[in-house]
Amino acid sequence: MIYFDNAATSFPKPKAVIEAMENYFFNMGGTTGRSGHKMALEASELVFNTRESLAQLFNIKDSARIVFTKNVTESLNMAINGFLIKGDRVITTSVEHNSVMRPLRYLEQAGKIKLYVVQANQAGMVDPASFEDILKKESIKLVVFSHASNVTGAVNPIGPITQIVKSYGSNTLIDAAQTAGAYPVDVEADGVDMLAFTGHKALLGPQGTGGLYIREGIEIEPLMRGGTGSNSEREFQPELMPDRLESGTLNVIGLAGLGAGVKYVLEHGVVNLRQKEMALTESFIRNAAKIPDVRLYGPKDANNRVSVVSLNISGYDPAEIAYILDRDFDIACRPGLHCAPSTHKTIGTFPQGTVRFAFGPFNNIEEIHTGLTALSHISQKEGDV
Amino acid sequence: MSAEYVVYFQSTHDVIKAKKELQQACIAHEIIPTPKKLSSECGMSLKVEAFVLERVHEILCLKGVRFKSDLL
Repeated sequence: MIYFDNAATSFPKPKAVIEAMENYFFNMGGTTGRSGHKMALEASELVFNTRESLAQLFNIKDSARIVFTKNVTESLNMAINGFLIKGDRVITTSVEHNSVMRPLRYLEQAGKIKLYVVQANQAGMVDPASFEDILKKESIKLVVFSHASNVTGAVNPIGPITQIVKSYGSNTLIDAAQTAGAYPVDVEADGVDMLAFTGHKALLGPQGTGGLYIREGIEIEPLMRGGTGSNSEREFQPELMPDRLESGTLNVIGLAGLGAGVKYVLEHGVVNLRQKEMALTESFIRNAAKIPDVRLYGPKDANNRVSVVSLNISGYDPAEIAYILDRDFDIACRPGLHCAPSTHKTIGTFPQGTVRFAFGPFNNIEEIHTGLTALSHISQKEGDV
Repeated sequence: MSAEYVVYFQSTHDVIKAKKELQQACIAHEIIPTPKKLSSECGMSLKVEAFVLERVHEILCLKGVRFKSDLL
């Protein structure tokens, strides 16, 4: 099987990830912050180490400002619902995943916020200046945008956008689902206020792990309240981070795996991993463009994208292409709307969608060639299964 | 034997951070359940001897660890 669905979840995971989880399961087993015995201490240290590795990766000064969640959707919901209050004005873009769009549209529909949507171009790129057009006229509390699109792979430059947003005294929430581990992220250098990430994509950890970074000076309301292992004599949620936003027993086994995944990324270097993935992506795009009837979406310049490529073949339903790739060529990719209807409307592929190829650190050039051969084969046939 | 002090915290995160900082500075310490009289906010604390207390304070303040200390 050739796995080209790394934007959904990465596969395979580094061996160290499985080993770390196995080691926790068989040899550790305690939970964090709930008792004082050696096993609890070991678990607490494990969780601490994962937090520290993430802080190193994103250049976060104080790892206590990172809270763990079960995925980036929870992180985004926590930030959006915990930061915004009635009457706030918010900007987002037309190329967001539903994990951003749905919580924002819900608050808009409930009459709690006013939402402005910045239009991206047909390649899925957002002009940083278009945020300014709204910021000039309205008092905006929060600007939410994805670092890279899960459909087109287009990267929104964090630095230039954040600079504009900050100059108007507003705040940023960045959805780094597709970039954490795959593209450099430096929250200090770029002045990011909140960063939402998932553990099971380019950070190479297991599903059920994710997190939210909230810079010092910003306090948000918890999504949940409950036991934290601290302040136990009080019936009110503690104020201190990360406990304030981390109620209930953590996914320690998952965080063991995530810690090993982040370590793998740190050891290999985000820049090196990206270089490898982008070499594969460039080769794929260059050769796919030569196949008759193939239409590619997203930015032409590889510098402006991550290793996510959407395409269509004339005469085919995207689901049909993915089905043939799976059935006849053992190639896994994802057709449809990728939980991002607004993005597909922006690039002109709504409602049929596209077929998405997403390459990871364990793909190789032979697999790319096999994928291209399969696409050529499909394009030469009529659109019937 | 010199007097012993307990260094206590509001969060498990800070306990582990303190433990690692003291380990790195080669300062002897022990993790103990927080004595009830301190009504601490976190179940785990660090026990250190009186003669290192000043150094412990210095290191933990420098590293931004949130803590308090008291005679055990």
